[in-house]
Amino acid sequence: MDLDKLRETAAEVAGRDDVKYLIGWKKGSYGYRIAPAFVEDVEAAAELIFSPLCTANLATYLTLVEKLPLPRGQEPDDRKVALMVKGCDSRAVAQLLAEKGIHRDEVIVIGCPCPGMVDPDLLAEKYPETEEPAELKWSDDGFVIVRDGEETAVPRDELLAEKCRLCRYPNPVVSDIMLDDPVETWEPAEDEGVTEIEEKEVDGRWAYWQEQFSNCIRCYSCRNVCPLCYCQDCILDRLNPTWVNRSVNFSENTAFNIARAFHLAGRCIECGECERVCPANIPLGKLNRKLAREIRDKYGFEPGLEPEGEPFQASYKPDDPEDFIL
Amino acid sequence: MIEKPKIGVYVCHCGINIASTVDVETVEEYALKLPNVEVARTYSYMCSDPGQALIKEDIKEHGLNRIIVASCSPRMHETTFRKAIQEAGLNPYFLEMANIREQCSWVHQDMEEATAKAKKLVTASVAKVRLLEALESTEVDAEPAALIIGAGIAGIQAALDIADAGFKTYLVEKTPSVGGRMAQLDKTFPTLDCSACILTPKMVDCASHPNIELLTYSEVEEINGFIGNFDVRVRKKARYVDFEKCTGCGDCAKECRVADRFPSEFDEGMGKRSAIYLPFPQAVPAKYTIDPEQCLYLTRGKCGKEPKCQEVCGADAINFEQEDEYVEFKVGAIIVATGFDPFDPSRKPEYGYDDYPNVITGMEMERLVSASGPTGGKVLINNGKEEIEPKEVAFIKCVGSRDESVGNEYCSRVCCMYTAKQAHLIREKLPDANIRIYYMDVRAFGKGYEEFYDRVRRENVRYIRGNPSEIFKRGNKLVVKAEDTLTSTPLEDEVDLVVLGVGLEPRAEMRQVMDLLRLSQSGDRFFLEAHPKLRPVDTATEGVFLAGCCQGPKDIPDTVAQAKGAASSAMIPLARGSVTIDAQVAEVNEATCRGCGFCVEICPYSAIEMVTVNRFGHEIEVAKVNEALCKGCGSCSPACLSDSIQPKSFRDRQILPQIAALGAMK
Repeated sequence: MDLDKLRETAAEVAGRDDVKYLIGWKKGSYGYRIAPAFVEDVEAAAELIFSPLCTANLATYLTLVEKLPLPRGQEPDDRKVALMVKGCDSRAVAQLLAEKGIHRDEVIVIGCPCPGMVDPDLLAEKYPETEEPAELKWSDDGFVIVRDGEETAVPRDELLAEKCRLCRYPNPVVSDIMLDDPVETWEPAEDEGVTEIEEKEVDGRWAYWQEQFSNCIRCYSCRNVCPLCYCQDCILDRLNPTWVNRSVNFSENTAFNIARAFHLAGRCIECGECERVCPANIPLGKLNRKLAREIRDKYGFEPGLEPEGEPFQASYKPDDPEDFIL
Repeated sequence: MIEKPKIGVYVCHCGINIASTVDVETVEEYALKLPNVEVARTYSYMCSDPGQALIKEDIKEHGLNRIIVASCSPRMHETTFRKAIQEAGLNPYFLEMANIREQCSWVHQDMEEATAKAKKLVTASVAKVRLLEALESTEVDAEPAALIIGAGIAGIQAALDIADAGFKTYLVEKTPSVGGRMAQLDKTFPTLDCSACILTPKMVDCASHPNIELLTYSEVEEINGFIGNFDVRVRKKARYVDFEKCTGCGDCAKECRVADRFPSEFDEGMGKRSAIYLPFPQAVPAKYTIDPEQCLYLTRGKCGKEPKCQEVCGADAINFEQEDEYVEFKVGAIIVATGFDPFDPSRKPEYGYDDYPNVITGMEMERLVSASGPTGGKVLINNGKEEIEPKEVAFIKCVGSRDESVGNEYCSRVCCMYTAKQAHLIREKLPDANIRIYYMDVRAFGKGYEEFYDRVRRENVRYIRGNPSEIFKRGNKLVVKAEDTLTSTPLEDEVDLVVLGVGLEPRAEMRQVMDLLRLSQSGDRFFLEAHPKLRPVDTATEGVFLAGCCQGPKDIPDTVAQAKGAASSAMIPLARGSVTIDAQVAEVNEATCRGCGFCVEICPYSAIEMVTVNRFGHEIEVAKVNEALCKGCGSCSPACLSDSIQPKSFRDRQILPQIAALGAMK
């Protein structure tokens, strides 16, 4: 992608009177770190980047903004927020629009066709981080790592993130401005991770998740990073009734993770952020992708594709399959 | 101050329904030991007058403030007991029913286990009842007017009854005339009175009644609101004939350039009509209508030099500029009387209905024997070669009824009798004809029906038990291939005319009405009544009632009886002038609602809408429940991810302790 064009467009958008700020990616403090950039003025647009390191789904910031009580007489700030999105991020935006989490006139979507991101853990493991912020670029057949002025070419398959191997929508499904021509889509890989668990017996599956959930420290990072977990008052925080107790143990951890997975069924757009941020390395992507697979197979539904479509939870057809109901 | 719960537990024997399987005394003793239970009693029939008196006295004497009745399903007696405790001064919603009959005694045999389960159910109710909140029902004014959709005999009868009682009645009919299917019939079983003779006076009454507003050639487009307050929008389709000016003289139809070219719907396609037409001579209103799909002027923009009808109309009533009109009005109750479709025998190709002109349906037979029909009442039939008077006539019953292969398992209830009647009419007109009826069973269940069936049999009409497998042509004859199952004899019966006793099916376009009124279908695809026995004309949508064949196949006496029933039910809110809105409805927590609208989409009663509220200076959208429309079904609650909408009395904090109590018991 042409970074000059990106910065130029961003500066133009951020400079508009009806725009509060633009959310994009910028280099982080060291190594492969990437930080979200909140561009409020034209100058700040110069630090924006788009590289194979921009894994983070910035759509989550759309609903994270707290609507603080306004002093009497003060008008709410109705300016728009501009947001840079990859294919997967755009699905989060589409899903938010479908479920009225945001309104179309509140947001300007800047689409970045995405050739695929690197797996940050894999990258750091194979090509250790430097103190200086490193750079990553796409080449014709893979990635190029620039550390301390030194370039290393890496084949695509070696570092491509799992969510990108499975990706079916690398091009934004909703956008106001597109920064580049659509990328050529690739054949998504078989989701072996989910199939492998599906093939286990019930006991095996239970044992697998028991082990995973036992590691959960209930930091709620997964919930906080998720662009579609945005209830003002999360039921998992409630005391009356207490759905999940505060104690960190297998039973409560399981209740938490299952409740979250169910609340995302038919809504998760598979951006993989929950799994990326999990400090306990719980394969949350597998859990969410399993539910997404069920809903795709049984109901032929995929979330985050139609901003004006009927949300899955709110749709009912008399011939919906119900063979799984006991 | 929150008052301390004082709970009374009343365990019902229900005769032996409960007491033979559940040891009610043990349950009573057990209940007494539960927290906050002040009184526990058993009685043989708690719902009886002395049973209710027992509860009322205890409320007064012991100051009880929460009541548990351990008996049948709340669907059975919740209202009974709510009323009882209200009479004793308690809020009626401080009642919890523990269902130890349908969910316990009736489904278990072992007394020990059933008793243990009854104890659990009572424990769970004790856990919940203390958390119930006082609810108040409200009264809303009801518009003293009714809408009736469909003007067949059911709609006509219902309209006349309601109008006679003094209420404004809107009667909407899709076709240009009232009368429906009954107007097409020749004579009616079992008394053989002429259908037109008994129907037409009622049709005329409809048109002239000061309280009835007749909207023919019109369709209901939109219905909003709830019982007592429905807003209705009706589209009056353009007739292209000035309703006020048309005198019904018929000159236009005679002179029409495409006169008598099109199959007449009324004559089941056996007669012809013009592009401008009156469906049948006795049509009400006697006003002509131009068929926009057939009229030369309307389809091609040109009809000779000038449209003939316009030229000959002495009243200057033809108006090609006419457009659809919309009327809007308010009603308190709605009766759906949309009728049926006759089964299309093309779906049973083995009977050759599409192939042979002398295989006809029962409806066609009605027109054929009718004096006002296409043949003037003569039984004449084309056998593929010439017009003849049939000598050999066969009827086949249960065509499209009691037949899984076409998806209709039900009995159409009229075919046995109408074939018998038609056999009788043919016998009258063709004394020498040989008539046989192929049947599976003969169901002559109504008043005078069995006697009529006997009479027809004595008139030398042969009943052969067997369901024909095929009809094919041999020379000038049709061959009915069947087996007489009483003698196990295979038959190849040569006949001149086959009459298919086709059954009744739900109307093809019923989905439209279902969507308008949120009605449901039963397994047979007809409209579903609220209760098959006790609420046969009500629907799940309050204020909407069913009459006639739209609810299931019916003969004329049953249709009229049901129409009168529906009329009387519909008049309840109209006469009362107000409706009570149940307090047990869903409630939105505005503070946590995230405005996604899932509940709006999922609500089967369209009772939820999004409204904009001001939350600390910010305009935000939240869900709002229309309490008059909400049935408290709870569908919204699981759709809500933030748990912000919940039915009162079934809130999480009320039912979770109940569930926990079930689980915690050993």
